[in-house]
Amino acid sequence: MKKTHLLAAAMTAATALTSPAFTQSVLRLDEVAVGELDPAKASDYADSILMFNVYDTLVLPTQGGPGSEPHLAESWEVDGATYTFNLRDDVSFQSGNPMRAADVVFSLERMQALGQGLSHLFGGVKAEAVDEHTVRFTLDEPYAPFIASLVRLPIVDQTLVEANATEDDPWGEEFLSANAAGTGAYTVSSHNPQDETVMAVSDSYFLPIDDHAPDEVRLRYSLEAATVRTLLAQGEHDIASQWLPPEVIRALAEDGAQLLTESGTGAFYIKLNTARPPLDDVNCRQALAHAFDYGTALQMVAITDDVSSGSASTGAIPVGMFGANPADEVLERDMDAAREYLADCPYAPEDWNLEISWIAEVPLEERFALLMQANFAELGISSSIETLPWALFTERVASPENTPNISQIFVNAVTGDPDTLLYGMYHSSTPGTWQSPEYLDDAEVDAALEAGRRGPGEEEREEAYSNLNDRLMELAPTIYGYDRQSVFAASNRVKVPALSDPEMAFGLDGMGFSFRLMEMVEE
Amino acid sequence: MSPVLRILSRRLGISVIVLIGVSMLIFAIARVIPGDPARIALGPNATDDQVAAIRAEMHLDEPIVAQYGYFVADVLRGDLGESLYTNRRVTTDIAEFLPATLELVIVAGFMMVAIGLPLGILAARHRGRWPDHVVRVLTLLTVSAPSFVWAVILMLLFSFYLPLFPVAGRLNDSYDIARTTGFLTVDTLLAGNFAAFIDALHHLILPAIALALSGIGQAARLTRANMVETYDKPYIEMAQAFGFFPSRIARRYAFKPSLIPSLTIIGLDFAAMLGNAFLVEAVFAWPGLSRYGVAVILRKDLNAIMGTVLVIALTFLVVNIIVDLLIAFLNPRIRHSTRATS
Repeated sequence: MKKTHLLAAAMTAATALTSPAFTQSVLRLDEVAVGELDPAKASDYADSILMFNVYDTLVLPTQGGPGSEPHLAESWEVDGATYTFNLRDDVSFQSGNPMRAADVVFSLERMQALGQGLSHLFGGVKAEAVDEHTVRFTLDEPYAPFIASLVRLPIVDQTLVEANATEDDPWGEEFLSANAAGTGAYTVSSHNPQDETVMAVSDSYFLPIDDHAPDEVRLRYSLEAATVRTLLAQGEHDIASQWLPPEVIRALAEDGAQLLTESGTGAFYIKLNTARPPLDDVNCRQALAHAFDYGTALQMVAITDDVSSGSASTGAIPVGMFGANPADEVLERDMDAAREYLADCPYAPEDWNLEISWIAEVPLEERFALLMQANFAELGISSSIETLPWALFTERVASPENTPNISQIFVNAVTGDPDTLLYGMYHSSTPGTWQSPEYLDDAEVDAALEAGRRGPGEEEREEAYSNLNDRLMELAPTIYGYDRQSVFAASNRVKVPALSDPEMAFGLDGMGFSFRLMEMVEE
Repeated sequence: MSPVLRILSRRLGISVIVLIGVSMLIFAIARVIPGDPARIALGPNATDDQVAAIRAEMHLDEPIVAQYGYFVADVLRGDLGESLYTNRRVTTDIAEFLPATLELVIVAGFMMVAIGLPLGILAARHRGRWPDHVVRVLTLLTVSAPSFVWAVILMLLFSFYLPLFPVAGRLNDSYDIARTTGFLTVDTLLAGNFAAFIDALHHLILPAIALALSGIGQAARLTRANMVETYDKPYIEMAQAFGFFPSRIARRYAFKPSLIPSLTIIGLDFAAMLGNAFLVEAVFAWPGLSRYGVAVILRKDLNAIMGTVLVIALTFLVVNIIVDLLIAFLNPRIRHSTRATS
């Protein structure tokens, strides 16, 4: 026994000897996917975290409410499809180069030329530098969510990128895949796509940064749940990714971790293929929508008594967005209504054999598939469950004949605006993508989506999306499972107002991880 | 030509054929994995035009024979293309990740030999007595659980409940060591930073044990079985009759002939660890080539799959050649024969 203690003491001493004390505050967090440093290719959560910290955009989402606020821009004017932005004149890139209107034009053109990430948001947009600090965007047609879309146009340092471009690589892709060229609050110290990206606070940021903001940030990639749990327990990690299994998040909370949340930008959608019998009939779809057990679904994603990965759905649009129904009008299971709809369904339930698919990379969906199978069996409907890897799913949905009767997808609005959530999902011009396995083709839905894009004002948009919401509830192309909320287990060494105080929340995925707004605290 | 050189030239010739065969096989298999690599790489929001552009750039719309032609031409120029997973040259990724896996596998291989063989000898010498029983139970335990189970158990025991070892990574964040060879135990010494060297070793211990345990058990069991068989040979009986010390009999007359089959299996195990290390690498957040290999397969990153498989196959072949040479060296019948038949 004494020898064991001696060994333990020796190993602890060795650990202490080989672990020098940090002289600066370090924030450590993780994400499941490799972070893409090139801002023109950024699309997923890890990319967004990098982009929002290393680069800046002309506008930022308003904290605690809808709309956008100036950021690199001081102000803007809108004239039909023309947007003119006056830029701040006190902003420099991390290289020391001043930020100019030409950099904004270059950033847009680079994104369009590479055609990756979220470049599709800027398909019909042209930009010109009116003068050193004025830039004008001209759109092919009016697009009311354009201002919101600009949170996805990071401004890069044209001079630095061009200095590192080559004949074979005119847009400096190789340089920007490993280096930063932004104005952001954090610079990139090192980037290893298999391991981590290390960032350091910039000393030349144009806005004040709190002294308690982390000096260094280590964004780690692809950690296993057991590893994250051990790291957090040992005080070697600060914020876990949202992709931990609920039971691990619950265990961490029981061990004293705080739970941070981000919501209002997306939902869990159960998509019904409206192009194939029996779900080509609205009554058949309504029967399923009313038979789905929304309450049990929410219990399945509950993490603690107070925190859940989902909140009750009120309709097609998540609560907090334009056109959403009030938060207290939640969807509930109604088996009587389900039976009535089924009675009007032209297909006899005993003849159905619904294919319920779930994405192999998202084990949670298997539980929902089983829940649906049990729910629909109460109506006498039989079904089979099919596991589809994501790659195979995206191929299958390309044609209505191959698209499963039921698909499960989490969808977020990439700009925080309902247009980026709903247009690709329901407009008849965009069928057969991962977002639109419903194959919905409805003139009223198309008209409402187009009106939502046209605007021009927020009132008109609100009305358009409200009409859209009502129409979608009539058509039931989708079962609206729950509004999604991302939950992050975190140590108590970090305070993140944007992920813990609704008044400070951004309403845009990943923006809550603006490190300059975080505080590192002594435990 | 000496028998050893003959073995070497023959093995090298076969290796080239094997490498070509592996490249053709993997090239074909990688293309039948479901999913469009361009679509996966560009993400769910990519337009059809964007996907088409990447497909054209990667020659994905051309016949598979033509695609293989482009691949071979690029490989001969030393170009494995760009990884759609990391957006970097595949050669850059391999240069960065291979040393991490090699360092882990070499330490695990060393453990396999340094612990597995003595355990086997111990069990054989004390056949039927308690040391034999203990070794057999222990080795059965290590062989029957896969590496990732050991990884999680070791992490829970020695990082979570008893915080004696680091949980993840290869080196403490506070050390800034220039990567000269990519082997951190070497680079820290080259940098003259002994504390960092100890830290790198400290990070290596748990993942290496997790990876080696199964091999240790296998090496011990095989060595024991071979030595027990050798102990039944008449020349051992004769050595005993001459009154030689048991330790001398074990070392000189029983162990050496028993080592040859064990060495073959250890060599195969060592090479196989390169591919099998991915779960251990995942648990300990070890930025190695195995983990990279699995990640690129899941994303159907064709260039990276080919690069990773070729490197692992090449390492496998090199290790096998080294084992063959060692066996030739140990086995006088091969070393002195006029015809190398091995």
